[in-house]
Amino acid sequence: MDFLNPVINGFAVVLEPSNLLYCLIGVVIGMLIGVLPGLGPAATIAILLPLTYNVEPVTAIIMLAGIFYGAQYGGTITSVLLRLPGEASSVVTVFDGYQMSKQGKAGTALGLASIGSFIGGTASIVGLTFLAPVVASFALDFGPAEYSALALLGILLVATISNGAKTKALIAAAVGLLLATVGRDIFTGESRFTFGNLELADGIDFVPIAMGIFGLGEILYNLEERHRAAKAPSKVTNVWPSRTDLAQASGAIARGSVLGFFLGILPGGGATIASMASYAMEKKRAKQPERFGKGAPEGVAGPETANNAAATSSFIPLLTLGIPANATMALMFGALLIQGVTPGPQLVEQDPGLFWGVVNSMYIGNILLLIMSLPLVGIFVKILRVRAAILAPVTALITLLGAYTINNSMFDVTLVVVFGIVGYLMKKFGFEPGPLVLAFVLGSLLESSLRRSLLVFGGDPTGFFTRPISATLLIVFVLVAVLPGIRTLLAKWTTAPSEQPITTKIKEKV
Amino acid sequence: MMHFPSRRTVLGAASAVTLLALTACGNVAGGSTDSSKYPNGPVSLTVGQAAGGSTDLIARAISEGASKTLGAPMPVVNKPGANGALATKEVAGKPADGQNLLLVTASLITITPLAVTADEAVSIDDLDIIAGLSQDDYVLVASKASGFNSIKDLTGAGRNITFGTTGVGTGSQLAQTVLFKQAGIKGTDVPFDSGKPALTAVLGNQVEVSTIQLGEAMPQIKAGKVTPLLVFSEERNSFLPDVPTAKESGYDVPVAQYRAVAAPKGTPKDVKDKLLAAIKETFKSDSYKEFNKKNMLTPKEISGEEVVTQWKDYAAKYKSLVEKYDISLSGTK
Repeated sequence: MDFLNPVINGFAVVLEPSNLLYCLIGVVIGMLIGVLPGLGPAATIAILLPLTYNVEPVTAIIMLAGIFYGAQYGGTITSVLLRLPGEASSVVTVFDGYQMSKQGKAGTALGLASIGSFIGGTASIVGLTFLAPVVASFALDFGPAEYSALALLGILLVATISNGAKTKALIAAAVGLLLATVGRDIFTGESRFTFGNLELADGIDFVPIAMGIFGLGEILYNLEERHRAAKAPSKVTNVWPSRTDLAQASGAIARGSVLGFFLGILPGGGATIASMASYAMEKKRAKQPERFGKGAPEGVAGPETANNAAATSSFIPLLTLGIPANATMALMFGALLIQGVTPGPQLVEQDPGLFWGVVNSMYIGNILLLIMSLPLVGIFVKILRVRAAILAPVTALITLLGAYTINNSMFDVTLVVVFGIVGYLMKKFGFEPGPLVLAFVLGSLLESSLRRSLLVFGGDPTGFFTRPISATLLIVFVLVAVLPGIRTLLAKWTTAPSEQPITTKIKEKV
Repeated sequence: MMHFPSRRTVLGAASAVTLLALTACGNVAGGSTDSSKYPNGPVSLTVGQAAGGSTDLIARAISEGASKTLGAPMPVVNKPGANGALATKEVAGKPADGQNLLLVTASLITITPLAVTADEAVSIDDLDIIAGLSQDDYVLVASKASGFNSIKDLTGAGRNITFGTTGVGTGSQLAQTVLFKQAGIKGTDVPFDSGKPALTAVLGNQVEVSTIQLGEAMPQIKAGKVTPLLVFSEERNSFLPDVPTAKESGYDVPVAQYRAVAAPKGTPKDVKDKLLAAIKETFKSDSYKEFNKKNMLTPKEISGEEVVTQWKDYAAKYKSLVEKYDISLSGTK
């Protein structure tokens, strides 16, 4: 079991006091913002990116990851107790969770969600542990051609699978690609769209874009919404679910783990889609579907397991291929780049401490969450009463201060403000910011890899099909691109009433 | 609902005040210019590269030693952008009182101007060089799969060879393009973003050879995963004594990265003397010597005047080389 050695060394990394501390900070912040409707994990990570500059890369990512999966826990608490989903991924938990809480079974619902989340998260970590070395063994076969194909596929999937209008997602992605072209052309040294401004010579930095579009844009957008004052929650007693509840939920937890794992890996997938798919699946499988919406334990356990499994497994494409699967992962990508670590197939080989440290921190983080989430419910409910009038300016201040500290540059602050306004307008007009940011991240990778491959191939584009990995990826790309069209054609042929997928109107909160 | 809009206004106003307060802090005036009291508060050392790179590490090693002798803190400020031109222009525009220093790299002065437009280039004449620091050598490495074991294998290959560079306008690109022209090797220039991806590409034989800074390539050379073919320094490098120089092999392409500490033009002489003394004190310390060794840096602790002469010589040499061989570093031939 030689391949397990780095895994074990990874635990040594996590158990360093500073890493444990940051893991704790991360999951607490995560739970907190999970509780607060409004800011989601991506916005929080964007705002906190500058904080990670002065710590070790592994510590930084451990904390940011903690925020991400901690938020999935926090969102559950408000869904069950207050009927206020703190996160988009906990929206479906409201249906049965709040009903259970009305029946005096709030403790059971939260207990089931915690246990499910823990199992789902752990299952994904195990999957990641075994999958990563397999991908890493191909690491050096990944050249420019493979990266161009991967980036192309990533952008397509993100733009087409994400929630909301496809055309708008494609437009946002196209804008992201355009923004990525600003700055010095790394192949000729020519300046592009810099208007003679040296600040733009290296292109627009990822961090101000992320902080503006996700952070400031989200804060501005939330100012429009008026939050309901939180009601006093029902009392939480008896957190351990009864044997019958557990028996009822165990199948849902197992299915949620598997479903979440796969939906998390998929680019454009993620926690929200996983939770909704799991709810739909549980309802369809149930012998008495009418129980759903009236406090069915499976309706809480399944989605909560799936969202955590997906949150964890979405690290797989990032850490093993360097392709972010969703907006939050794009931020992790940015955070790693800032730290001088390029995520990709080489990461497991070159930096096993970082890779396994981050992966294993998720075990610890999940345990911390399991222990802490329930005792902290009372505090979270109090936090919900903090008025937006106080919260919004404070977060805006932190965002702008953070933006300044990255490069000690006022130009960056200006960029954050500009992109904040862009982000706000995008949300207002129904454009998801996710595809823009992801396309921006992948855009420079796509351009440089494509041009590099063409140099290597001597300008011959058929070269992409002479290499097995890039050829396979490109075939998948074509399939994904034409599949919706074929499906519509098939639907026209077979007039049989096709099943309507569960409505995915719920907007992904970033 | 009457109170609702007013509440929104409060929010908007609060955010606006926050913004204003932040923008107002943008410019903080520098200290006085009374040089007898130098240093008057912290002495900042600006680096035009991101934190964690070799230039940044050198700046931190210097700041650690020099701040002790100076008796003032010397914070390292990273201001990456345009290969260091952004930081250079900023520091050159600061008051010449020795409170704002710059860690300047030779490639910015000698090579970058060959690849970028005139208004993006910076001139060494805008700065007072305090002291030269060290030399960071480039090594040409070949992938195992290429089968190249010496420069002779390269010249005798008789086919087009793909070579990775660490970017446009870098020493890595200049060294290889000039070498290939002088040796009559046909090659395709494949630029990468920095040394690390260029090295990874050689490891996977995505490109056959690449020129990388020694400190970066050394672990893979020692592990036997890439073959060092030659170094571009004028003399053999003490960390790779068995690898020939380009000069020995008959090619006139002396390229290395040099670094120096600089201040804005017109800094008073007594301030410069104090700084020089503090830096020289750093050179003597064991921890700094150990730092150089660990990062495969060869000390090149020369005076500011020597730095200016040498860098100007290199700039002229590189200019004549690219003109002679009709090389365009920007690849837009």
